[in-house]
Amino acid sequence: MYVPDFEYHAPNTVAEACAILAELGDRATVLAGGTDVLHKMKVGKLAPEHLVSLKNLDELREIREEPGRVVIGALASHNQIYTSQLLQRRYLSLPMAAHTMASNQICNLGTVGGNIVNGVPSADLPPILIALDASIRLTSAKGERTMPLEDFFWGSAQTRMEPGEILTEISIPDQQTTGSTYLKFGLRRSGALAVAAAAVSVQVSGDTLHAVRIVLASAAPTVLRVADAERSLIGRRIDDELLAEAGQFAAQASRPRDSIRGSAEYRKNLVGVLTKRALKKAIDEGHA
Amino acid sequence: MSDNHSVIGRSVPRIDGPEKVTGAAKYTGDLKFPNMLYGKILTSPHAHARILSIDTSEAERLPGVKAVITHKDVPTLKYGLSPARWDESIFCSDKVRFVGDKVAAVACLDEDTCYKALKLIKVEYEVLPAALDFLHAMDEGQPQVHEEYARNINTEIHQEFGDVEKALAEAHHVRTDTFVGQRTYQSPIEPHSAISMWDAEKLTIYSSTQSPHYFQHYIAREFDMPMGDVRIIKPYLGGGFGGKLEPTGLEFAGAVLAKLTGRPVRTFYDRAEMFAHNRGRHAQYMEITTGVDKNGKILAAKANFLMDGGAYTSLGIASAYYAGALLPLTYEFDNYQFDMFRVYTNLPACGAQRGHGAPQPKYAFESHLDNVAADLGIDPMDIRIINARRPNTVTPNDFRVNSCKIKECLERVRVMSDWDEKKKNLPLGRGIGVATGSFVTGAGYPIYRTDLPHAAAFIKVCEDGTAATLYTGSVDIGQGSDTVLCQMAAEAMGYRYEQMKIVAADTEITPLDFGAYASRQTYMSGAAVKQAGEEVKRQILEMASVMLGLPADDLECDDGQIFSKSRNVKSLSFEEVARKHFVLRGPLLGRGSYTPPKLGGSFKGAAVGTSPAYSFGAQVGEVAIDEETGEITVVGIWDVHDCGKVINPRLLHGQVHGALYMGMGEAVWEEVLFDDKGRIKNAELANYRLLTAVDMPPITSEVVDSYEPSGPWGVKEVGEGATNPTLGMFSNAIFDAMGVRVNSLPLSYEKVWRALKEKREREEIAKREDAQRGLAPQVPVPLETVPLESEEPVYANPS
Ligand SMILES: Cc1cc2nc3c(=O)[nH]c(=O)nc-3n(C[C@H](O)[C@H](O)[C@H](O)COP(=O)(O)OP(=O)(O)OC[C@H]3O[C@@H](n4cnc5c(N)ncnc54)[C@H](O)[C@@H]3O)c2cc1C
Repeated sequence: MYVPDFEYHAPNTVAEACAILAELGDRATVLAGGTDVLHKMKVGKLAPEHLVSLKNLDELREIREEPGRVVIGALASHNQIYTSQLLQRRYLSLPMAAHTMASNQICNLGTVGGNIVNGVPSADLPPILIALDASIRLTSAKGERTMPLEDFFWGSAQTRMEPGEILTEISIPDQQTTGSTYLKFGLRRSGALAVAAAAVSVQVSGDTLHAVRIVLASAAPTVLRVADAERSLIGRRIDDELLAEAGQFAAQASRPRDSIRGSAEYRKNLVGVLTKRALKKAIDEGHA
Repeated sequence: MSDNHSVIGRSVPRIDGPEKVTGAAKYTGDLKFPNMLYGKILTSPHAHARILSIDTSEAERLPGVKAVITHKDVPTLKYGLSPARWDESIFCSDKVRFVGDKVAAVACLDEDTCYKALKLIKVEYEVLPAALDFLHAMDEGQPQVHEEYARNINTEIHQEFGDVEKALAEAHHVRTDTFVGQRTYQSPIEPHSAISMWDAEKLTIYSSTQSPHYFQHYIAREFDMPMGDVRIIKPYLGGGFGGKLEPTGLEFAGAVLAKLTGRPVRTFYDRAEMFAHNRGRHAQYMEITTGVDKNGKILAAKANFLMDGGAYTSLGIASAYYAGALLPLTYEFDNYQFDMFRVYTNLPACGAQRGHGAPQPKYAFESHLDNVAADLGIDPMDIRIINARRPNTVTPNDFRVNSCKIKECLERVRVMSDWDEKKKNLPLGRGIGVATGSFVTGAGYPIYRTDLPHAAAFIKVCEDGTAATLYTGSVDIGQGSDTVLCQMAAEAMGYRYEQMKIVAADTEITPLDFGAYASRQTYMSGAAVKQAGEEVKRQILEMASVMLGLPADDLECDDGQIFSKSRNVKSLSFEEVARKHFVLRGPLLGRGSYTPPKLGGSFKGAAVGTSPAYSFGAQVGEVAIDEETGEITVVGIWDVHDCGKVINPRLLHGQVHGALYMGMGEAVWEEVLFDDKGRIKNAELANYRLLTAVDMPPITSEVVDSYEPSGPWGVKEVGEGATNPTLGMFSNAIFDAMGVRVNSLPLSYEKVWRALKEKREREEIAKREDAQRGLAPQVPVPLETVPLESEEPVYANPS
């Protein structure tokens, strides 16, 4: 396997990067950690004339607290997210989700931005970020826009990214949720992609659920929020039966296909089990 | 034989440890030579196709390309590893027979240019229907993989010992089960690599090989050269497990490219190409029948197998024989029938993988034996102890077993694992299983017919006695043979391990040794090394006898000191005696060689599976199963082996851990998957799921005290044998946990989940029917007597 020839750019500012991308149009591909891009180039699925590396844009690596929100730079690596004390304190579920990913080497290179923009349904970070109501900021030579992460994905590896845009930051708003978690079912304990996965956030008071989000990975052509299952829970008394019912709803809403990692039938079953267990965990253990 | 050894029996540090952990060790792929070119092989994208034309002109014009070769440029002599079926060509000329079959090769200034050049070679194919399903490869009307082998039959075996039908007729209980084993691939961490170069008429190849000798033999044969003009050197090597036992296109094409360009050429496989070259475990359909008496004593066994050989023979004839030949080792029975077909398919060729031939049949037999035990209400541990082989016995297929402590292994593992307690008290979803294994300590006969010794060694003591170098053709592929053989040399010489050096696996410098396969080196290479060491020691004692004026037989040499056994006189150092020897008598050298005795019976195929000694072992594993997902958590594994005298305990337990690691993978996680065009779907390490360090359970590994009278210091093998029980052990632990049996490997989470789901559905139906009949709900029956759930054998994962 080899990487086809390309021209390489490493701009020093976001503005410069945007300018280069604007000029090169679809002849250029953005390079972050490269763990998806370089692999695709090696297996012949991608052959860009130009790679625009973001590696010099250190300001996009920052994870910080601001009034009303937590901001994660798009270039933050999986291991940075895993080890961030801020995230561990505020939303431990996100570092734990990062910890389910790949191997240590990949986690040192791979970035949250790449995980989002790559757009595959098995990506581990989008589900928990959507469960935490995250939004994203996209920057281009034409300006900036923000949108809920949930709206970013619309089909298999299809996103609302416009040519020339760079994902610069992900933002998690301060919220009333009392718990969140991400449960991933892989076929070994390290270096496994999700056969199915469920992220949830809950807002519990007393023994009822006031708000809930359920987001699935590897369960449909795109990351999938399951509103039916969410609605079935709101305002009802929490017990095992209710959670099992939510799992059933989630399984019904999921549209997995037969894949090398499991049959559609098996994966549907997993969605139900994982949703049920994730809800229980978030209710019992908070952000975990 | 005294048990007071100074060097063997100790966990000395590995002789190659510092180089390996600091990264200083150079593997074949690390080596660079002046003017070296890079070579790559173009392979077939089709499982079965006729080659209509090959046009290399465009590739030849690409700057940086130095040579492009096809079948027109290479010898046409067919090669292979099993002499009975040489069926492979350096390049295909008429047909390609699997996705990955060799068509052409290039030599270029750099690696990238190779890939570009390969794309420019235009091959016109006429795609033919392919035989992809081994279960139907012998059917009428199936595509023929090789015209000369009718019905795609590569190997056919029919053996019967004793009177099977009579014994079955007289048995108290007769049962048949069928199982299917999957294709797995060795996946050594180091990709195959070879660097070929010519010096006039002499060919030198650095290669990541498990057997420089077989490479030398087969390469000389292919190019019609004297063996002496072919030199094979094995640098550091990162694992083989059977997959690097035979020369490949890398050596053959590399040698031709080097000849044409007059430059060294490095050829190599990337990970996907390794999978395509393959030579891993065969997929196999296995039907086992046994008849037992009312105590569970096995009276007769029948094994009826069908193997997917892939497109070529490789070592597959031996794999086919091994599959049946090794089955009667751990348990004693007199009547045995073995029938086997190994068929050609348009898939990559299978060969020898760790535990050669034995692990899947063992999986089938051990699962079957638990089913029999369940039928009779006998504890699985007890049925194994009842049938356990005794020492100094002969198997029905004429293998002589000297030392054998399988019964002690079972008894010990029963205690270690707390078997009896767990058998009674584990909750549903937790289970414990046992299985046994046995393996050859080196093959009784070489791969090709020859009367050459199987192993040889020299020892050269440095002129001042401060070091001794062991020269051996044996091959350290990571298992630690260099270390163990240096321990054995030092022990035999009365010298110190720390002063040993080793030169190994270079056919021009080191004496013949057949290499690293069939778990042979500690025993066979060790026997040659011991003899060489003893010859050094004899000369040292004779020299010391002159120096001290004492009779040689009153002297002993141990740990580098020569002293009198009876008198209190000053001792001499090995160094001073060795130096004096050099001054007065010339170089101090020792030589040794080893040839096994004549072994085995006289029926067809009697030679395969013979060995001067057999290892034995028993494993218990405990699993926890998540009923809702089928996920299997391995709680613990206990392994007890009878491997004769242990030379280096740490390396020995390392081999057990490694074998378990591979066995676990084969049991639950690993499978090579193909699409309907015969292309591998997971020729990479994300979806071909080798386990990782964090997947490994706690392992307790022990040995029983054992001594093999025929071996040097009483040694036997461990490296391959320890893989053999694992698959069956998992099958039985899962059965114990859930009361359902998955009858095909791998025992994946999904299959376990499905088996449980089907069981629940059956129970629901039964309950409803009972309710309709107005019966009271039944008391649950104990697990062991739950009727068997026999799942349709599924070869591949649904995907
Ligand atoms: C061995 C291995 C194991 C893996 N395991 C997992 C796993 O367990 N879970 C998982 O989810 N993923 C896994 N991955 C996939 C991959 O590591 C992740 O998706 C990673 O987050 C990608 O980030 P990156 O920085 O490497 O992206 P890159 O490869 O650099 O880019 C990915 C895509 O995003 C675009 N892009 C990246 N950053 C930006 C940005 N800031 N603005 C605009 N576009 C951008 C690129 O143009 C490209 O299209 C694995 C990959 C490998 C090789």
